[in-house]
Amino acid sequence: MTHDNATPNETLAASPDPPFGSNAVRLGTRQWMIATLLIVAILTALPRIWTQIEPLAEWPDYRLPHAHSEDYWQYARLVARANSRQQIAVIGDSVIWGEYVTPQQTLTHYLNEQDAGASFVNLGLNGAHPLALAGLVSSYTTPLRDAPVLLHCNLLWLSSLERDLSIDKKLTFNHPRLVPQFSPQIPCYEAPLAERMGIVVDRNLTVRGWAMHLRIAFYEGQAIPSWTLDHPYENPLDEIQLTAPPLDVELRHDPLPWFESGIDQQDIPWIDLETSLQWQAFRHTVEHLQARGNRVFVVVGPLNEHLLTPASRERYQALRQGAQSWLSRQDIPHTLPPLLPSKEYADASHPLSAGYARWARVLFAEPAFIRWLDDETP
Amino acid sequence: MLFHTWPFPLFFIVVFAVFLALKKTRCWLPWLLIASYFFYGWWNPLYLLLIVYSTLLDYVVVKLMDGSRRKKFWLLFSIANNLFLLGFFKYAVFVTDNINDLLAGAGASWHLPAPDVLLPVGISFFTFQSMSYTIDFYRGEIPRERSFIRFAAFVSLFPQLVAGPIERAKELLPQLNQFPRIRRKDITDGLSLFVVGMFKKVALADYLAAYVDPIYATPDRFDAPALLLATFAFAWQIYFDFSGYTDMARGAARAMGFKLMVNFNNPYLATSLGDFWSRWHISLSTWFRDYVYLPLGGNRHGGWLTYRNLFLTMVVSGLWHGAAWTYIVWGALHAIATMATRQAERSSWYRHRLPTFIKQTLVFGFVCFAWIFFRAADLDDAWLIVSRIFSAGWGDPRFPLLAMLLVGSVWAYQFVYESPARRMLESSGVRVAIVVLMIVYLFIIPGSRGAPFLYFQF
Repeated sequence: MTHDNATPNETLAASPDPPFGSNAVRLGTRQWMIATLLIVAILTALPRIWTQIEPLAEWPDYRLPHAHSEDYWQYARLVARANSRQQIAVIGDSVIWGEYVTPQQTLTHYLNEQDAGASFVNLGLNGAHPLALAGLVSSYTTPLRDAPVLLHCNLLWLSSLERDLSIDKKLTFNHPRLVPQFSPQIPCYEAPLAERMGIVVDRNLTVRGWAMHLRIAFYEGQAIPSWTLDHPYENPLDEIQLTAPPLDVELRHDPLPWFESGIDQQDIPWIDLETSLQWQAFRHTVEHLQARGNRVFVVVGPLNEHLLTPASRERYQALRQGAQSWLSRQDIPHTLPPLLPSKEYADASHPLSAGYARWARVLFAEPAFIRWLDDETP
Repeated sequence: MLFHTWPFPLFFIVVFAVFLALKKTRCWLPWLLIASYFFYGWWNPLYLLLIVYSTLLDYVVVKLMDGSRRKKFWLLFSIANNLFLLGFFKYAVFVTDNINDLLAGAGASWHLPAPDVLLPVGISFFTFQSMSYTIDFYRGEIPRERSFIRFAAFVSLFPQLVAGPIERAKELLPQLNQFPRIRRKDITDGLSLFVVGMFKKVALADYLAAYVDPIYATPDRFDAPALLLATFAFAWQIYFDFSGYTDMARGAARAMGFKLMVNFNNPYLATSLGDFWSRWHISLSTWFRDYVYLPLGGNRHGGWLTYRNLFLTMVVSGLWHGAAWTYIVWGALHAIATMATRQAERSSWYRHRLPTFIKQTLVFGFVCFAWIFFRAADLDDAWLIVSRIFSAGWGDPRFPLLAMLLVGSVWAYQFVYESPARRMLESSGVRVAIVVLMIVYLFIIPGSRGAPFLYFQF
């Protein structure tokens, strides 16, 4: 700090062209072009090559494991496979995914059991509220262009301002990386601009989705540097197991009817369709799918109305009616399945296995559904 | 707005595009100033009041100084004003706390109220930059800058505004006289610097911070190996963090045709403390040399006075870093070690017989030791860490091998760079391979990209 004579650095700093730096990492135009080409090639090729070396589960009724719910890159792989096999994508939240049931007790399983010549694939994503679903559909289901889509509408997301994400108070919610980052504005989402921009970039760069997949699939959801803090002496590469995941048969919750789990009747307030952010997002999803050439069939409910107080049930039915009116006005094939028996619900919206089986039978008894299916079945 | 977060590239692209579009007009300089103020105001628009005040005052003071017989008065006025700003915003809490401690020690029943002051980002940097202009003008080393906009752009140039390098007026102001000549080489050099800086910050500094922070937060819970390795890791963290910032600052400026000074030159290869300070935060160390050490007398009076000047300069430099006793001790330690190595360098045995690697190891070891005081939350923690390093058990430090590998690779690179084998690193293939590896790593491996730079707090 206190050299009386100028140091070599200082002498250079005073000259018109100061030295480049203290390393040799300095590329010229041609070298930058070569480096750019190599970087683009590597970043493009890596995720593609990975799809060849990491197998997807082949067993029937496969669904994205719950712990991998934020692995959207893997979700996109399932979508691409469904498309290549000409399966009908059944898209929705945990009601489609099957929160209280095994993969062999989900709606898609029972739909497939009907043996209608069509094959349905469970593309439900845990916690995917309509705002997240809109992002999921627009960013990660592009291979489904022109394919049939059975879309579930869970009106429970409109049950309160909190669930609708329209409350003006900071909230933590599922799938922040899927919701719109800038428009429409979500009042309870207060991520800084840098984070929002990062999310937009991540959604549009496959390699970033793949990097997230590696974290979720092999590194307990952490970036490799963070993972090494917990496993300081392990080789991160040893964690990569390129085998198909085992059959997922474990239940996440006891499959009890709602009234046996200590859930009481609830006076859910519900919010207006017109002001609901979630409903707006759902409509956007439908319109987006249609604009992309997908033939969409919407299933609204069946929500557990047994759990609602009479006043709440009345408000819900008005809401349901409003949703149906919009679908009819838009000429979108849809159905509103009747209420399932009370004992076939596990909570406010999730059926139990028997409920799913009944729901599938009901769908196949629905002329609109059969007509839509006939159009889609070769 | 942080260089390594997404808003910055967007900001830079817009600023650069408009900057180029205004090339043939007089508006490029006002645009640069607007962009710089926008960049600074991004943290807190209130900060702008401070930087505008500081800039305006020094501009007016130099104008009053020009042709005046009371030059010294105006110089002292400017210095007092800048030091008051620094003192108020940076040291008010420190001074109040210490006075209150003294009062409590003396049994006084009252105490001074704790000041509620927000420390503006980069205040130490822009006030020093502005002061250098006033002092250099007073010394007759530079002419008066007549354009306020040019002077304001010099003080606030956005790439180096919040954490340096602290540029001298005679270097940077002339570059603002006309639209810079931007060659293709400037763009590619700027990109190269930026990528290296980004890698240092995101891939290395933030990784090491994740190991260091919990250990330094609760040092009493860790054994000697963990404390030693956390100190070693912090030495590299602060280097990667600060030199990474500088690289990105220089890269962004270089792409716009402005050349900023080198601020770090592989400091952990230094063979003496004097050598270390000619490689570490060069813009600050030369600032203190020119504006504190030399005015105190430098080494002109030999012997003890030289050491007194050295000691005072180092302690003030420590205090510049932060308002805490830990920084003062850190500065004092460096002063003592600088004197010691200066003395040692007088012996031919040290200069010629002691292997360079041993000297480098000794210097690095001391610098790491001093970092304990720089990094610890307070002096009690610092003493605790030092004592535990010598007395605590030898439990597993759990330092990630990957971090060791990365740091080791950089260190080895620096050794090779400063050796005759440097040519190996200069081959086109190696350079391209390194850039490709760094960028691919940045896309795939690191976690979040939002940790602020360490030196912003100074």
